[in-house]
Amino acid sequence: MSRLYRDSGVVLRTYKLAESDRIIVLLTEEHGKVRAVAKGVRKTGSKFGGRLEPMSHIRLLLHEGRDLDIVNQVDTIDSVAPLMIDLDHITQGMAVLEAVDQMAMDREPNPQLYRMLVGALRTISTSDSPLVVPAFFWKLLALEGVRPELDVCVRCGETAALVAFDMDHGGVLCRNCRSGAPISAEALQLMRLILGGQLNAALAAPVSQASHEVNNHATRAVEHHIERKLRSVAVFERH
Amino acid sequence: MAATYTQPVQTLIDELGRLPGVGPKSAQRIAFHLLKAPRDDVARLAHSITDAKTRVRFCVRCFNFAEAELCPICLDDRRSGQVLCVVEESRDIVALEKTGEFHGRYHVLLGAMSPLEGIGPEQLKMKELFIRLEPEGVEEVILCTNPNTEGEVTALYIARMLKPFDVKVTRIASGLPVGGDLEYADELTLGRALEGRRELT
Repeated sequence: MSRLYRDSGVVLRTYKLAESDRIIVLLTEEHGKVRAVAKGVRKTGSKFGGRLEPMSHIRLLLHEGRDLDIVNQVDTIDSVAPLMIDLDHITQGMAVLEAVDQMAMDREPNPQLYRMLVGALRTISTSDSPLVVPAFFWKLLALEGVRPELDVCVRCGETAALVAFDMDHGGVLCRNCRSGAPISAEALQLMRLILGGQLNAALAAPVSQASHEVNNHATRAVEHHIERKLRSVAVFERH
Repeated sequence: MAATYTQPVQTLIDELGRLPGVGPKSAQRIAFHLLKAPRDDVARLAHSITDAKTRVRFCVRCFNFAEAELCPICLDDRRSGQVLCVVEESRDIVALEKTGEFHGRYHVLLGAMSPLEGIGPEQLKMKELFIRLEPEGVEEVILCTNPNTEGEVTALYIARMLKPFDVKVTRIASGLPVGGDLEYADELTLGRALEGRRELT
């Protein structure tokens, strides 16, 4: 029952607990989503408080508990420092964390999701492309088994004149069957690059109307899947 | 569960249990302590709660707690109006005042931006901050929000919004706590401490 284990993880979010503790929600490599108590981390003299901020990629020693585990030791793998200096990077990181928090299952190992999350946070800190988050969202949906159809109309199988995108139907629609939101050929091309394994080509593309479009579609698609609004996106969307 | 307490006691325990950091067991202990205590003591406590609640409100200028329209700090003429320190909560003012290092005025945001909880600039006293700058002739805004993700987001957001204003925007330094050990310091703090090092002369 009570045992120690080691794992690597990314801090998804934290809650205040009692006087100076925090509950840390982590996505770990081998144990899925884990909730753990970190004692005394809100005091300025805390040994590992600074390592347990959201987005931190860390190696931990945890003590298994009945419901909540207890954080014993923390070592940093990737510091949040490069993300913390730029408002856009933080917002992007938060959106990624929120989506993962919504989709990850408690104590259900998902190493693929873990690797994607770590990769996404690293990419955010080094890239200024607005497509990092939408690309992550699309790949997340693909991992969840709801990869959108991008090549043929989901209703009639038509391959030309694909002009609309509707998550209710799970992909693109042609001119005759169209429903949902319109999509431009450029945006569709970017999405094909993202889901077709050519992410770098998509991220290297110059910022355009199409990248905003891909971004909007990605956010709506994730919200459609988790059946709730992404708060971190909404907070900054108004500005 | 069947009612073990008489109605007034149960109500008291329930109300005490709603206070921050007070669990059901502590609530029960406090309730029984109050019931045993002399009537005068309890009346004094009750009176001080209602008194504080009716007399204290937010300062219209900086949103610190105040007894009048303005808080004592805003009323103090000896304080410089040119430097404005932005904090999350009133209690942060108390902490800063204890240092005795700051002689300017404050602005309390009454919270911090938290993207994951959906708390944005609208829920905080941000607009109130921006409209203060010009009439008060503020020359420097010190962003004194907590050095955690929420505080950092808030500081970066305010810094971005203050770009068009003709003010100097600074962020409090973060570094090692006095009496701490370098060995145990986390990378982020240590990195920032190095970045903000100063020359000894």
